[in-house]
Amino acid sequence: MPASPHRTSPYCTIGPFFPGAFVTGCEDLTTFQGRRAAGQHIILTGRVLEEGNRPILNAIVEIWQPDAHGVFRHPLDPCAEEADPGFYGWGRSRTDAEGRYSFRTVMPGVSDHAGNPRRPHVNLMILAIGLTRRLVTTVFFEQTDSAMRDPVLESVADPSARARMLARQQARENGAGAVPVYRYDVVTRGEDETPFFVD
Amino acid sequence: MQGTKPDKSEISEIEYSPYAEETQLARYIQHYPRSFTRNPSRPLIERPLTLSELTGPLELEQRFGVTAEDLAHLKPGAPRALGQYIEVTGRVTDEDGRPLAAAMVEIWQANAAGKYVHEMDRHEAPIDPNFIGEGRVVTDAEGVYKFRSIKPGAYPVTESDWWWRPPHIHFSIFGPSWMNRFITQIFFPGEPLNEMDLLLNAVQSPEGRDRLIFQTSPTVVGAVNYLVFRRDFVLRGKRRTPELH
Repeated sequence: MPASPHRTSPYCTIGPFFPGAFVTGCEDLTTFQGRRAAGQHIILTGRVLEEGNRPILNAIVEIWQPDAHGVFRHPLDPCAEEADPGFYGWGRSRTDAEGRYSFRTVMPGVSDHAGNPRRPHVNLMILAIGLTRRLVTTVFFEQTDSAMRDPVLESVADPSARARMLARQQARENGAGAVPVYRYDVVTRGEDETPFFVD
Repeated sequence: MQGTKPDKSEISEIEYSPYAEETQLARYIQHYPRSFTRNPSRPLIERPLTLSELTGPLELEQRFGVTAEDLAHLKPGAPRALGQYIEVTGRVTDEDGRPLAAAMVEIWQANAAGKYVHEMDRHEAPIDPNFIGEGRVVTDAEGVYKFRSIKPGAYPVTESDWWWRPPHIHFSIFGPSWMNRFITQIFFPGEPLNEMDLLLNAVQSPEGRDRLIFQTSPTVVGAVNYLVFRRDFVLRGKRRTPELH
């Protein structure tokens, strides 16, 4: 069979030397063009671990999510004109020696489009040495709209695997006014492996 | 992406199929130990694609701007980086061949001595103070990106006693959707080290490997002559085939 001229290009690993300047400032999604994002600001943080629960140093984590009202800054969203002008929706973080990444973002709202309501969630992808392609998963929030059905969460049949897609709120250490912290570890391989999607 | 507001039907207009494995690198690569400790052991799960996965960050230059198009020249009048001058260009399209305009392209590479400006790089090679080594450009209306640089050097993988990475340039491209966020490395034609590179040779077919290698183009002649390397990219996504009645 002759090769089509339009076959998808091969993905390749990000390698060890992704520029630090490409990460600086991308961990904070709560301001955009001088405006402050609406809604509940949160910290989404955790560790990226490989087999044996060993930390992955220097992994790149990227996220994409709707704003606090569930609107995506993208023309395919019919509500895009109402997207929060203080929220862009995309972020990038790099893991440290403990495998830790961290984002400051907003609690995403329920997005409801064309009869496909989505429970509040964050799309997340991992790039690292050893991974020739990205790993993609979705983060949900344990106590946020937990009664809501979600087609992506329900595509994961195993209840224990579904539980590994929930970010869990941490006890507040800095008083009631502090920004809530949600913990979400990503295990790329091992007993407690995070569910990843066909990509 | 400006002008008329897309209606709901356009959401389902572009289809994103899983990557055809034969077009891609193997996930597990002998002598590349981390591929065995980091790839998931369980099967990847199929999920429906909703608005969330079909959208993605657009107009990233609003968020962090673009850089100078020459990675090897800090500013006019400044000394140029050492190495062989190159111009790198190509077209970014989807699987139907439609250009992806206004796509952010991030580029990074080693200097002519095979050294990155990065704290993780422990290779004992000199840093070139006149070499920037990273940049961001945006595709034009025809999906064309272009930047200038110097040809990167080869460098040893420090954990290995035999593996030298052939000269290559890293690309990170933002298509219009979360589904076509794309990362790769592109190699130079005719390099002896290409024959033994674990990553390049993790693509099974010669035709697939060719899509990871630049093609040479005519030199750009001017105040400085650049040898031109070309690489087109096909990102995932094609228009749904209309049903026949």
